[in-house]
Amino acid sequence: MYIQQVVEMFYLTLVAIYIVFIISFIYVTSRGKPSKMATDGGEEEHRGMDKAEKTWFAILITIAIIGNALLLSPLIPSANMALWTKAEPMQTYTITIEDYQFHLPEKPMRVAAGVPVEFVVLSNDVTYGFGVFREDGSLVFQMQVVPGYENKIVWIFDEPGVYTIRSTEYSGPEHSSMVVYDAIVVEEGG
Amino acid sequence: MGPREKLALRYVLTAVFWLGVAGIEGMLMRLRLIDLFTDIYVPEHFYSMMTVHPYVGIYGWAYMAVMGAFYYLVPKVLNKELYSERVANLSYWVMTLGVLITWLSGFLFNFAALYTLYWPLPVERFPPTSILVFSIGTIMIFSSVLMFFFNMFATIFLPSRDAGGAGYVAKELLTLAFNIDKIKAVGKGIKNYLPKVYAYPVFIVGVFRGCVDTTLNALTMAAISVLLGVYSLAGLANINLPATLVDPLIYKNVFWWGLDLIADGNVLIFTAATWYFLTPVLVGRKLYGEQVVRTVILADLVLSLFVWNHHMLADTPQPLILQIQGQIFTWGELITMGLTMFAVLMTIWLARPVKYSTPLKFMILSILGYAIGGSAGIMQANYALNRYLHNTQWVIGIHGHVQLLAGLSLTLFAVIYAVAPMITGKELDPKLADIHLILFFAGAIIMGLSMGLAGVDGMLRRTLYFNGEYLPYMLGAAVGGAMMALGFLVFLLNFVRTYGFKAIIIAFKD
Repeated sequence: MYIQQVVEMFYLTLVAIYIVFIISFIYVTSRGKPSKMATDGGEEEHRGMDKAEKTWFAILITIAIIGNALLLSPLIPSANMALWTKAEPMQTYTITIEDYQFHLPEKPMRVAAGVPVEFVVLSNDVTYGFGVFREDGSLVFQMQVVPGYENKIVWIFDEPGVYTIRSTEYSGPEHSSMVVYDAIVVEEGG
Repeated sequence: MGPREKLALRYVLTAVFWLGVAGIEGMLMRLRLIDLFTDIYVPEHFYSMMTVHPYVGIYGWAYMAVMGAFYYLVPKVLNKELYSERVANLSYWVMTLGVLITWLSGFLFNFAALYTLYWPLPVERFPPTSILVFSIGTIMIFSSVLMFFFNMFATIFLPSRDAGGAGYVAKELLTLAFNIDKIKAVGKGIKNYLPKVYAYPVFIVGVFRGCVDTTLNALTMAAISVLLGVYSLAGLANINLPATLVDPLIYKNVFWWGLDLIADGNVLIFTAATWYFLTPVLVGRKLYGEQVVRTVILADLVLSLFVWNHHMLADTPQPLILQIQGQIFTWGELITMGLTMFAVLMTIWLARPVKYSTPLKFMILSILGYAIGGSAGIMQANYALNRYLHNTQWVIGIHGHVQLLAGLSLTLFAVIYAVAPMITGKELDPKLADIHLILFFAGAIIMGLSMGLAGVDGMLRRTLYFNGEYLPYMLGAAVGGAMMALGFLVFLLNFVRTYGFKAIIIAFKD
């Protein structure tokens, strides 16, 4: 299962929880008995948070800390490669883009699965994107290609196969045609 | 109907008109994405429509609706006169013409650099005339925004029409927006000092703190429009002005810093302020945690100044430390928005049993819309996940459009349903309003989810596909869009049935 699909499942579960919560909330608040708490706002004369608010605040802080820790952890492949393993690339491919055209050093570019490979992508005119896609159209990874800068990414392919390159950033009306099928062939690792 | 009511109505009617235009554009793009009208919507045309669509939607619809509502509500809440009705009228015309000219830059001149305007795309790919028309239109838009905020700040902070000048207003603004007086008091060792901001209703605090973000946004975006104008004039005069004079990465940082002040600051603060205003009025109870939410608004304002890096997570030349900082600060918005929603829901909870009037129904579903859209935003704004989600349909579908349509637009409709009877003395039909709400909300969610799930499968935003890829998702999105369009038509029918065309004529008659 790709990481995007895990995100999708988690997100759809969240959406379902939100919808059930709001429907229940509307049901209860439209039919419930009057609150026992004061209705003149008297309980809010103090300037700090009350107990319920403090609890909710603590829950939110906890979610934020866990969320950040989890998403920066080696569990996420892109975080693992960029922040944790920092593997030295065994191969480097330099690609140039100009006037909506990818200029590849060779086609296809052959890499081995499980081996770090570096892509250096340069733009000679405007901002583009460099995205690598599987045969089913799902995205493996991407980066922006800013002109005047060396845009570099190291990636470890975990599945052998044939991959497509597509510009992931709009670069003008002909941007949609910026696709190179069968641009990368990933072979069984050595 | 007094002049202030007429002014508000004029703004809101024009906002609704622009929402209709943005909706037509959106539906045309949806049809193109299900492979219809492929001969008409060639890429040049499609992308020029995509360029002006957010300007029409954000500035034509959302800004004009907010301006109309605040021009009416701020003086009413403060029991004061508006500082300048002349400026309010002027800003109306400047905004209306600005949006129209921006739209024409796409429709007539095929300017298609998208709202992102990444340097040097506009000056490399498009003729100077189209850039000039676009920059004139956007300069007018941001000038109108600045006039509006000047008028708001002066109305809020000047004790009377002749009490002080711009310097006085600016000093008061900075003091109150950032609690400078409290900081000074702490520095002097004064205990239990109550900041001056507590003298203002929480709605007004939200208005002026949100206005700080939007003023900075308007200044930044206006500067970019001026830059484009300079390059277009140089092009027309055959003067070679190299694009390399501007660094693309620094430009991108400045652009996102400025733009995000509305996307992640002003929208959240104005929405919070509006919920804080509406909830007590609609449920007849004081806002829960009123003292705390002022601090939450301040936290939102401060956070909004430091979150732009979540737009730069796919830029590998951007320093990693800034990218991680952008991620962590963005999670701060989960906390501030979470506290905002908590305050509103607790107010309703404590007021139970509650009669769900039309504006309250719209407001509660707008909270749901923000929760759904905001959660998607938090996910994509992470360094690691952004590698898979950046520039996909996830970003603009589940996050962008759900946030703007199910979140912001429903909040604006809640205000319209609440304020229209105050101005006209007549309520809109609640049954038709229910149909409007159900169609609009369900349509926004269906459209957003369809786009987002296409993004998970690799569909990019800002990209036309020619071989039927992702077609089932785009069919789902088109159905959602059509439901929203139908809901909008029901709203128009309701408005005309209740107020007649007479109200429209009155609003535009001096």
